[in-house]
Amino acid sequence: MKKILIVDDEQDIVESLKFVLEVSGFVCYTAYNGEDGLKLAKEIMPDLIILDVMMPKINGYKISRLLKYDNKYKDIPIIMVTARSQLEDKMIGEETGVNEYITKPFELDDIVKKVQEYLGESGEA
Amino acid sequence: MTKFLLISEDSEKERIIKEVFPSDEVIVSVEETLIFDILKVEEPDIVIVDGDIDSLDLKHICRKIKHYPVIILLILGEKEHNKDVTHNANLFIKMPIDKKLLAATVDSSLKTRLSLLRMAKSNQELARSLYQLNVLYNTSSQLAGTLDKDKLIKIMIEGIEKSLNFELSCTLMFRSEREPVLIINSLYKVSDRLLEALKLRAILSYKSLLSDPPFDIKIGNLKIEKNIKHNIQEYDFSVLRFDNMFAPISLNDEFFGFTEIYREKPFSTEDATCFQTLVQQVTIPLQSASFTQELKATNRKLEKLERLKSEFISIVSHELRTPLTAIKNAMDIILSGKAGDMTENIEKFVSMGKRNAIRLSGIINDLLDISKIEAGKMDFKFELIHIEPVIEYVKNNLTEVAKEKNLTIKYTPSGDDVEIYGDSNRLEQVLTNLVSNAIKFTPDAGEIDITSKVVNARELQYDHCFEDDIKKLQGNYLQVCVEDHGIGIERKDLNHVFDKFAQIENSLSRKVGGSGLGLPIARQLMESHNGAIWCDSEINKGSRFYFVIPVANDKSNFVMIKKQLIQKARSNGTTLAVIKIKSTNDVIENLMKENNLLNKTYMANSLIEKDGSMTSLSLILMDGDKPSAEFLKKKIDSVVEQNKDLYGECDIMYSYEIEGDTHEKDSYSR
Repeated sequence: MKKILIVDDEQDIVESLKFVLEVSGFVCYTAYNGEDGLKLAKEIMPDLIILDVMMPKINGYKISRLLKYDNKYKDIPIIMVTARSQLEDKMIGEETGVNEYITKPFELDDIVKKVQEYLGESGEA
Repeated sequence: MTKFLLISEDSEKERIIKEVFPSDEVIVSVEETLIFDILKVEEPDIVIVDGDIDSLDLKHICRKIKHYPVIILLILGEKEHNKDVTHNANLFIKMPIDKKLLAATVDSSLKTRLSLLRMAKSNQELARSLYQLNVLYNTSSQLAGTLDKDKLIKIMIEGIEKSLNFELSCTLMFRSEREPVLIINSLYKVSDRLLEALKLRAILSYKSLLSDPPFDIKIGNLKIEKNIKHNIQEYDFSVLRFDNMFAPISLNDEFFGFTEIYREKPFSTEDATCFQTLVQQVTIPLQSASFTQELKATNRKLEKLERLKSEFISIVSHELRTPLTAIKNAMDIILSGKAGDMTENIEKFVSMGKRNAIRLSGIINDLLDISKIEAGKMDFKFELIHIEPVIEYVKNNLTEVAKEKNLTIKYTPSGDDVEIYGDSNRLEQVLTNLVSNAIKFTPDAGEIDITSKVVNARELQYDHCFEDDIKKLQGNYLQVCVEDHGIGIERKDLNHVFDKFAQIENSLSRKVGGSGLGLPIARQLMESHNGAIWCDSEINKGSRFYFVIPVANDKSNFVMIKKQLIQKARSNGTTLAVIKIKSTNDVIENLMKENNLLNKTYMANSLIEKDGSMTSLSLILMDGDKPSAEFLKKKIDSVVEQNKDLYGECDIMYSYEIEGDTHEKDSYSR
């Protein structure tokens, strides 16, 4: 089963994402702040990470940078989710190696489709 | 009384002279050193030289006396004199002395001398006045160059010093409302007790000048600024005995301070006039400076408010969007059936919730858009585009929605192959809004027509309530029209449909919902495109919404394109300016080439013709240093000012590039 890590300080958003992704057959791990998210990422080696930008302690860009500049984790796809839609934010995202960029409010279906693009139709390995 | 210096050993001659001029003073000497001391100290009017003197070298003496402002009268006697002696004398008299002739000669030459002296004096006075006038002129032109209170006062004091040579001056000014400063300019050091006395005097003057002083000045809060020229000596109370002049610096009811000057040499009436004029000259610039200071403070406040507003909106929008996303997600999950089975009623009400969540999110987006546009923070991506793909895109996007009401959307392009300069995303937004409105207001099974064509601004037809927006348009435009066959809008409401939040009192419009911001946003977006938007309508027959955007590369639309160029250049981070190009940024140069705007390089000075008119360039770039840029800016400003009808519409931006890539932006448009 493919592992997905969801990092967002909005619990409700994490819950709904987790629900739809698990229904689609993925295993989800969750963290509600950047610090836990980074720790968990190194611990479980997920197949994909869904990352929020604005978070307490360590923000999404920082996590993305830390992972993408580390050979061990650089191949994990990262989908960045944020309320910001400014062009410059997108550029920062690209610079830090984010694979996808989705702005809030998003459709749950869109995220599931994006995840499936990276990991295949279902979570079965 | 006339003073004579007689250089003679002959007592007979002395006697004669004293006899002829009994009431005058006659000094006699033959000592060479003494002669020149007398000339210096006694300042005689006439020197009478006895030609028969043996003990002196007359030639040498006469030549030396010549340097003094005296009349030299030579008494020619037995001795033969060479030219060198006679040449240096003004008058001659032969021996034996004719008393009458002597008296007459001396009298007439004295008169001549007097008038010569008078003339020299008035010449000197004239020169002095001229100098003062010159100082006045210089000071006034210097005053015009700044709006800094400190500098203005400094220029005034310098002007007074140059023209009146005072020993000490005391000037009271207010750096800000509650910051009185006493500026003391002095030739020598100022003793402590003199300083205290000057302070007290200033405070007393301030209190006596204003019947109701707005601000209490005390020894404690009066700041002192001393400018001492020479440290070699110190002034004490003696200065207060000097001649002095005092003048308040005030304009009408506004009081800026005062200045007082002390001079050992008494002041003349001309000096007083000069002083008053100099002080008066500074008042108007000082008033402007005060206004500028206030304006700047207000501006800073406004900027802060604006920033707060933007921050507020961005925070609020984030805070609102996040829970909204959660609500929508939750309802999506229920509606997808993944969370379990639901009854028909559950589906109906959750759908209702979702529909409203989407609507709320639309309103938040609209609010964000309008606040961004109003703050000038909307990002545009202007490029040369065709309108057809934009219309097709919107049409395809909304076909599904239209189908739900059994409506059809028809698009008829005119076939004119023209390009416009626009942001396709924003144009999509405008068009989506118009077509959505049309869908909302058209009853089931109707038709919505979209057309596009090229029109000239003169051919446009519109209700006069839109005149302000449309009459400024010139040249060729691409016009898009969205026509519905719905309920229509009453004539009195036509203009209000573009007002913020002004939803027309119409049951249907309430029913169909919306933020009430769609059309105001569309109007703002059109303005950013140098276009316009308007509508006409017939009750129960339908409405037509039109928008126009200038056709790109249309020569008659020069002003518009230029504006767009400036916008484009701005978004590229390049600065545009009036003034010449030498070697300029590639971005701008290409931009100009693309649009055939400038294919000549003008030297800074050839820009302005000899007759004062300006080469008809609409956009000029500059490359050079700041001082020359400012110089030319002033020049161009004055040309534009003088020919308002000619250049009134013309946009001028100034900026300089300093050392490579650093831009110092000082651009504004007229």
